[in-house]
Amino acid sequence: MFAILKKLSWFFKLRWKSYLFGIVALMICALLSAITPLIIGGIIDQMIADTLTWQDLAIQSGLILIFAITMYVLRYGWRTALFGNSTLLESIMRNRLFSHFTKMDSQFFNEYRTGDLMAHATNDLAALRFVAGGGILSITDSISIGSVTLFSMFFLVDWQLTLTTILPFPLLIFAARYLGKAINKRYRKSLESFSQMNNQVQESVGGMKVIKTFGEEENHYADFIKDTDNVVAKNREVYKVDSAYTPVIEGITGLTYVLTLFFGTYFISTGRITIGELIAYFSYLSMMAWPLLAVGRVANTLERGNASYNRVTTLLSYASHLEKTENPIQTPITGDIDFEIQEFTYPEGKNPVLQETKFHLDSGNTLGVVGHTGAGKSTLFKLLMRDYDHYQGKIMYNQTNLKKYSLDAISKGIGYVPQDTFLFSTTIRENIRFVNPDLSQEEVEYFAQLADIHEDITQFPEGYDTKVGERGVSLSGGQKQRIAIARALATNAEFLILDDALSAVDAQTESQILANLRTIRENESTIIATHRISSIMHADEIIVLDKGRIVERGRHAELLQNDGWYRRMYEEQQLQQKVEEGGE
Amino acid sequence: MEQKKNFTLREQLRILAGLFSFTKPFWLPFLAAIIGMAIVSSINAYLPVVIQRYIDEYLTVNNVALGATIRMSLFYLSFVVVKMIVVYVKDYCFKIASEKTVASMRNQVYHKVVHLGMRYFDQTPNGSVVSRVTNDTETIKEFWNVFLTFLDGFLNAITIGVAMFSLNTNLAWLFMAFVPFIIVLIYIYQKYSTLIYGRMREALGHLNAKLSESIMGMNIIQHFNQEERVKSEFDDVNQQYVAARNNMFKMNALLLMPAINLIEAIALFIVLWIFGLRHLEGLAVDIGIVYAFTSYAKSFFHPIGNMLDSLSVFQDGLVSGARVVSLLDRDDMAPSAGLNANGSITEGKIAIQDLSFSYDQEKEILQNITISAEPGQTIALVGQTGSGKSSIINVLMRFYEFSKGDVLIDGQSIHDIPVEKLRERMGLVLQDSFMFYGDIADNIRLHGDYSDEEVRQAAEFVNADSFIEELEGGYHAKVIEGGATFSTGEKQLLSFARTILRDPKILILDEATANIDTETEKKIQKGLENMRRGRTTIIIAHRLSTIRDADKIYVLRHGKIIEEGNHESLIDRQGVYHDMYQLQTFQENS
Repeated sequence: MFAILKKLSWFFKLRWKSYLFGIVALMICALLSAITPLIIGGIIDQMIADTLTWQDLAIQSGLILIFAITMYVLRYGWRTALFGNSTLLESIMRNRLFSHFTKMDSQFFNEYRTGDLMAHATNDLAALRFVAGGGILSITDSISIGSVTLFSMFFLVDWQLTLTTILPFPLLIFAARYLGKAINKRYRKSLESFSQMNNQVQESVGGMKVIKTFGEEENHYADFIKDTDNVVAKNREVYKVDSAYTPVIEGITGLTYVLTLFFGTYFISTGRITIGELIAYFSYLSMMAWPLLAVGRVANTLERGNASYNRVTTLLSYASHLEKTENPIQTPITGDIDFEIQEFTYPEGKNPVLQETKFHLDSGNTLGVVGHTGAGKSTLFKLLMRDYDHYQGKIMYNQTNLKKYSLDAISKGIGYVPQDTFLFSTTIRENIRFVNPDLSQEEVEYFAQLADIHEDITQFPEGYDTKVGERGVSLSGGQKQRIAIARALATNAEFLILDDALSAVDAQTESQILANLRTIRENESTIIATHRISSIMHADEIIVLDKGRIVERGRHAELLQNDGWYRRMYEEQQLQQKVEEGGE
Repeated sequence: MEQKKNFTLREQLRILAGLFSFTKPFWLPFLAAIIGMAIVSSINAYLPVVIQRYIDEYLTVNNVALGATIRMSLFYLSFVVVKMIVVYVKDYCFKIASEKTVASMRNQVYHKVVHLGMRYFDQTPNGSVVSRVTNDTETIKEFWNVFLTFLDGFLNAITIGVAMFSLNTNLAWLFMAFVPFIIVLIYIYQKYSTLIYGRMREALGHLNAKLSESIMGMNIIQHFNQEERVKSEFDDVNQQYVAARNNMFKMNALLLMPAINLIEAIALFIVLWIFGLRHLEGLAVDIGIVYAFTSYAKSFFHPIGNMLDSLSVFQDGLVSGARVVSLLDRDDMAPSAGLNANGSITEGKIAIQDLSFSYDQEKEILQNITISAEPGQTIALVGQTGSGKSSIINVLMRFYEFSKGDVLIDGQSIHDIPVEKLRERMGLVLQDSFMFYGDIADNIRLHGDYSDEEVRQAAEFVNADSFIEELEGGYHAKVIEGGATFSTGEKQLLSFARTILRDPKILILDEATANIDTETEKKIQKGLENMRRGRTTIIIAHRLSTIRDADKIYVLRHGKIIEEGNHESLIDRQGVYHDMYQLQTFQENS
C-alpha cells in the first residue's frame, strides 16, 4: 500500500521544504483545533464554579480568535503547498512523458494508439496527483488529527471515559473498508453497463443509414431503452450500498454519543470529570469521525496511484529500437545515395515488404518510384529516413553508412512530404515555416509560390493568418498537400522526398509544381513516389516496385519501350484523363 | 465553441427549465428525498437540544438518577436510529430519482437522434453524437447533486435557525447577522469561480489538444527536427494549466472551507463572549444552551461550505445541459410524408421528373434530372465521384428532402407515400455493408419478424448459405463489432440476404460491388441476378461490366444527365460512356 510513497520519494525530496511546511502547518492546525474545545470546556467550568473573571474571559476567548486567524493562514498555506505540489508533480511527469514521446520510433507509435497515450497522460497522471496532494493530506490529517484528538481525550479529559466510549470507532474503519469493497464491485458492473450502452449508441450511429433504410428506428430505440434500464438497474445496486455510507457513520458516531452521555453522567456523579470536560469531549467525538473515514479512502488512492505509476514507468522505459552509435556524425547527410536492401520486414509483420531493392542516386538527380498501393514505396522512404534499423543490407549517404549519422543529421538533410498530409492547428504561415519560425513573410510566400499555393492562400479572408484544422477553414486535400510541400521546401534540405504527395492535386497544378522544383532544385536530389506517371516522367531514373521488388527500371522513354507494367499504366492514365475531361 | 461561452441569466434559466422538465415523472421520489432531508435537518437541529436539556436539568443541578440517564440514552439512540433510516431512504430516493431522470432524458435524446434527418449524421462526427447521448447526460446526473447540496444547506440553515430562535432569540439574531456576509461570500465566489474554473477548463482543453496533436504529428515533428521547440511549446501550455490550477487552489483556500471555518470561530467567539458577559453581570446562564450554541456554530456554517464547493459542478452541468437542450430543440427531422399520405408501392414503376436538389440550398447537386423505369426494368446510373449518383438515391430513399420537380412511384408522388411503407418496399444495398454485433441470423433478420426458415431461404437465394453453413455455428455464428471476421464479399452477401428477405418491389444497389475484387464479384453475380428478377432495379456502379445488360443507362456529370440509352447505343455514340468503358476494359485486362 505504501509502495507508491517510496517510488515518489524523488519528488518528496525535491519538494521537501514545501511538504515539511504543509505537514507542519497541518499538524499545528490539528493541535489548535484540539485545544479550542478545551478552552470552551474551561470557560464553562469556570462559569459553573462561578470563578470566571473578566480577564479569564478576555484571554480565553481571545485565544480562540487568535487560533482561528492563525489556522486560516495556516490552512491557506498548507492547501497551496500540498495541492500546488500535486499539480507540479503532474506537470513534471507530463513533461517527462512528452519528452519521451518525442524520442520514440515508429514502432512505439504503432504499438500504442494516440488514445492510449492520451489516457496515460491524463488518467494515470491524475491518479499520481491524488497521491501527492489529497493522499499526503489524508495521511497527515488522519494521523495528526486522530492522534491529537485521541491524546486530548485520553489525557486532557479522561482516559477512562475515552476507553469506554470509543469502542464503536474501530467498527467505522471496518465498515468503511467493507462498504468500499462492496461499492467497488458494484461500481465495476455499473461501468460495464454504461459502456455497453455507449457501444450500442456508437454502433447505431455508425449504421444509421442501414437503420433508416430498413425503417428500424423504433426498434433500436426499444433496444436502447433496455440498455438505459440496465444502467439504472446496475446503478440501483450501487446506490443501495452507497446510501448506507452516511447512515453507518451517523449511527456509529451516534452510538459513541450515547455511550458518552451514559458514562459521562456516571463519571460526573463520581466527580471524575466536570461538565465542561464532557462538553469538550463531545467536540472531540465529532472530530474523530473524519480521520477514521479517511483511512479507508487513502488505501484506495495509494493503490490506484501505484498501479498508475507502474504503467507510466513502463511507458518511460520503452527504448527506441534504433541502434546507438558512438560519436555519430552531426553534419547533415549529403551526396550520393546507395540503397541496397536484401530484405526488410516490419516488426509486427510476417512477410517481407522489400526484397532485393537496390538503387544508386547521384547527387542532384531525381528518382521516381512507382507501383501499386502496398508495393513498398513508403517503406523505402521510411528506411531512407531511418525510421527502422533492422533490415538486411545497407544504406549509404556519400559512402557513409546511414547508421553512423545522428538522427538530427538525417532529418536536417531531408525535406519530407508524407503521404497523408498532417498539418498543425495553427496558422498557414506557421505551418509553412514549421522548421524555422524566424522565416520572414517574404520567404514564406516564396515557398508558397513554389508549391503553387500562394494564390489560394491570398483568397482566404485572413490570408496567411488563416487557421488550419477543426476551428479554422476547411482546406481541400490538394491545398493541404501543397502547404505540406511548401513546408518541406522551407527546410532547404539537400534531399526532398515526396511520398505520393500530389495525389489530390490536379494535373495542371502538378506539372506547374514539378516544373518549379526542377528549376530551383537543379543541383539537389529529389525522390518522388507516385501513382501518377506524369509526376515522374522527367526523372533521371524510374523504378517500378511490385510486391516489394523492383520489376522494371530506366528512364521514361526506355520504360515505354518495355511493354511492361509501366507502359500499361501510362496508357491507362492517358485514357483516364480523357474520360475525366470528356463532355466538357 | 459552446464550451467557453458564459451563459446569461436568461439562458441559464432556459436551460434549467429544460432540464427540470425531465424531473416531472419522478416527483414522488424527489419529494420523498426532500421531505427526508427536512426530517434529518430537524433531527440534527433537535439532538443538541436533547443533550442541552439533559445537561441543564440533570447534570448541572446534580440530580442524576440511573433511570433518567437510561431513558435519556434510549431517547437519543432512537433518534439516531430514525435518522439513520431516513438518511438512507432519502439518499437512495434522491439518487435513484436522478438516475431515472437521466435515463429518461437519455431515451428522449436518443429517440430524437434516430429520427433526425441524414443531414445531421452527415455533418456531425459520430463521436459527438454519441457523446451527446451518453456523456453529456452523465454530467447532468452530477448536476442534480448541486441542487441536493443547496437544498440541504437551506433546510439546514432554516431548521437550525428555528432551533436557535426557540432557545434564545437574541443569540439567534446574532447568527442571522452572519447571513448577509455569507451571501456576499457566495456572490464573490460565484463570480471568481466561474472565471477561474472556466480558465482551467480552457487550459486543460489546450493541453489535451496539444498533446494529442503532437502525438499524431510526432512523425512530422521528428522529421523536421523540431522536438526541442515542440517540447518547449508543450511546457508553456503545461505551465499555463499549472498556473490555472494554482489559482483555483488559492481561490478555494481563501474563500472556501478555511473561510467558513474562520467565520465559525468568530461566531463561537461572540457566543462565548456574550454568555461570559451575562455571567459576569450576574445573570443566570444555562450551561446547556452554551453547549447547544457552540455546536450549532459548526453545523450552521458547514453546509454552506459544501454549497460553495458545488458551484463548479453547476457550471459543467450548464454546459452539458445546453448541448442536450439544443439537440432536443433541433427541427431538421427526417423527411416525412403528409398526414393524409396513404399511397403504396405495388408495381414498382419509377418516374423522376425534372428533379433538382441541393444539400445547402445554395449549390445545386442535381439539376433537372429526369429518369424513368418500368416495373421489372433495370436502370443504371454511372459517372465520376461527385457527379450526383448517390444524391439521387438520397432523394429516392427520402434521406433528404428535395426542392424542385417530383418523384413518382406507381404514379403517386413520394410525398404521398408514408416513409415506412416506402422503405419497406424499396431495398437499398449500400457500398459498405454494415454489420451489427450479434449472430448471422440476427444480421439478416435485424428486428424484422421472420422465421429461421425464411432467413435461411433468403441466404440461399443470394448464394450466401454455402459460406454460412461452413461457419462454426452456422446461422448462429458470432458477428463481432463491424463484422471484422468476415471478408467484404461475405458481408455484402449477408446484406443482400438482409434486403431480399424483405422482398422489396424496388431494388437499389448503391455501388454494392465497389469494394469487392473481380473474382469475388463473379461469385456474387449469381446472387445479384436472382435478386433482380421480377424487381425494378436501380444500379449505381463503378464497374461498367456489371451493368451491360441494363435496360437503360444514365451517364451523370456535375449533377446533370449527359448521356442516356442502353449499352450498345451508348457505345455507338462514341461519347463519355464509350471512353469509360474502354478504360475499364483496359484496366481489367491488365
